[in-house]
Amino acid sequence: MFNLIKMNLYRMTHAVSTWVIAIVTVLYAFLQFGALKLMMDDPLHMFDGGAVSILGMDNVTGVDTVTNFLQNSNVLIIFAVFVVIFANAEQKCGFDKNIIGITQHRWKHTVARWLSAVIGVTALILLGYGIMFGLSALFINHFTLGSVAAIARSFGLMYMGMVAFSAVFFFFTTLFKSSAGGIVASLVISLGILNLIEKLLDLLTKKFISNPRFLPSDFFFDNAYMTFDHAGAGTKAILGFVAICAVYAIISMGASMLLQQRRDVK
Amino acid sequence: MDYILTTHELTKTYGKYNAANEVSIHVQRGGIYGLIGRNGAGKTTLMKMIGGLSRPTSGHFEIHGKNGETTEQMMPKVGILIEAPGLYPNMTAMQNLTTKAIALGIHDKKYLQGLLEEVGLADTGKKKAKQFSLGMKQRLGIAMALVNQPELLILDEPINGLDPQGIAEMRAILHHLCHDRGITILISSHILDELSKVATQYGIIHEGKLLEEETKEELFSKCCERLELRTSDIGKTLQILGLMGFSKMEVKDDAINIYERINESGAITVALAKENIQTNEIAVKSEALEDYYFQLTGGKENV
Repeated sequence: MFNLIKMNLYRMTHAVSTWVIAIVTVLYAFLQFGALKLMMDDPLHMFDGGAVSILGMDNVTGVDTVTNFLQNSNVLIIFAVFVVIFANAEQKCGFDKNIIGITQHRWKHTVARWLSAVIGVTALILLGYGIMFGLSALFINHFTLGSVAAIARSFGLMYMGMVAFSAVFFFFTTLFKSSAGGIVASLVISLGILNLIEKLLDLLTKKFISNPRFLPSDFFFDNAYMTFDHAGAGTKAILGFVAICAVYAIISMGASMLLQQRRDVK
Repeated sequence: MDYILTTHELTKTYGKYNAANEVSIHVQRGGIYGLIGRNGAGKTTLMKMIGGLSRPTSGHFEIHGKNGETTEQMMPKVGILIEAPGLYPNMTAMQNLTTKAIALGIHDKKYLQGLLEEVGLADTGKKKAKQFSLGMKQRLGIAMALVNQPELLILDEPINGLDPQGIAEMRAILHHLCHDRGITILISSHILDELSKVATQYGIIHEGKLLEEETKEELFSKCCERLELRTSDIGKTLQILGLMGFSKMEVKDDAINIYERINESGAITVALAKENIQTNEIAVKSEALEDYYFQLTGGKENV
């Protein structure tokens, strides 16, 4: 398993797509910082992008930078593209034929590939967030660090969500055996199409059940992630969020492993 | 007989279509087993099953006499090149080899460089795989298959699409691997003439079924030159030929096929004339491997 992860990391660092996505992540970090600074310097500049959540605030805190960088749909698309391209590369060029036959348990390939993708996503997050946090701390006049523990908590929770998202995108790529499946899934989520469907289901539920305890959207991961109050959530809400992340990640990876184990290599 | 690989009624079904139908082959250690068949005959399906890329619908196979769960333990001793070589196009030859080597826990650069030298790609430097010719890609594919030091090498149509020089280079590589390194090779092709130059054992597969399995000697004895003799009295002719010391002969249709001393047609004619047997036709004929294959599979379509 360790060797397979090392192999995946080797090919990751030798893939052009990895470096292109790293550059895109850096640009994204600069853009998010720019939007944040523009709004703080001149609040009349109303943005409709990721920075919208801090409008009306007097200052920017460390926790706000987490929200700004990680809790929006743009970064989801970037990391989805990375995971999808990485997960599909081996099958696309046929390299999997060289190694799958000689390994005793095929599911190991799936786990190793996903763990490597998570390492890649982690590196991209650290790179992008590090840049954005640094720029914010240095160049935004009304920046206050706030509690480091609060930043760590917010970052940890959002990171956990990203790991679960990577498992979901990985599953769609494995299922459709092409990059298209994962890309479409990421677009459906990040463009709000899935959210629209969830709202429709919520409306239907409310129509037939008065005061329902749960709504369908409560169980959709994208909704849970995008609306999660990572800074102010209580223990129960945090446990609920962690549970949803874990369930989606486990189901996605379990299904991916099963597909890999049972499918023939083309 | 020492077999490195035996398959037992190996079957692969896609829906109602039998891509491989109860195929049982026996690959002798140290030889080159040529799997002959048309496109779609089931060669690749069979090789994918043996190479661990596809699960058999039924049947099983043994490598080194190990089967069932223990077969998987032997898979690291198998190298495969199925259809097009699986290469990362933006990587160099060495980087592609390194990628597989890392997965196997091999970190010896000299060993990998040696593999590139064996297949004639030692000087490709920073050239990326996407810039390689088809022949170079195929040779790199073989080097990839050799990374895990296999005892059995499975090569699916490795000469397909190569130019004459590429085919000659590939033949030299196969010869080297088999004779110098002692690697058993299972190779498929529909280019019968080329296969006949390297293989020591043959399996003829058609519509998913194994029609014949023969050694080179057995196959060539069926395809070799012969005297085809037609006379006015087959029975008496056989007696006379027997008296002349001929033993390797058979009667087929209305002709006698003689498989030895084929330059003695004059003596045969004289001997028959002395016994008042009329020689209607006597000629040296040969059946190419291809003709024999057509005869077995019943046609020249799609070959």
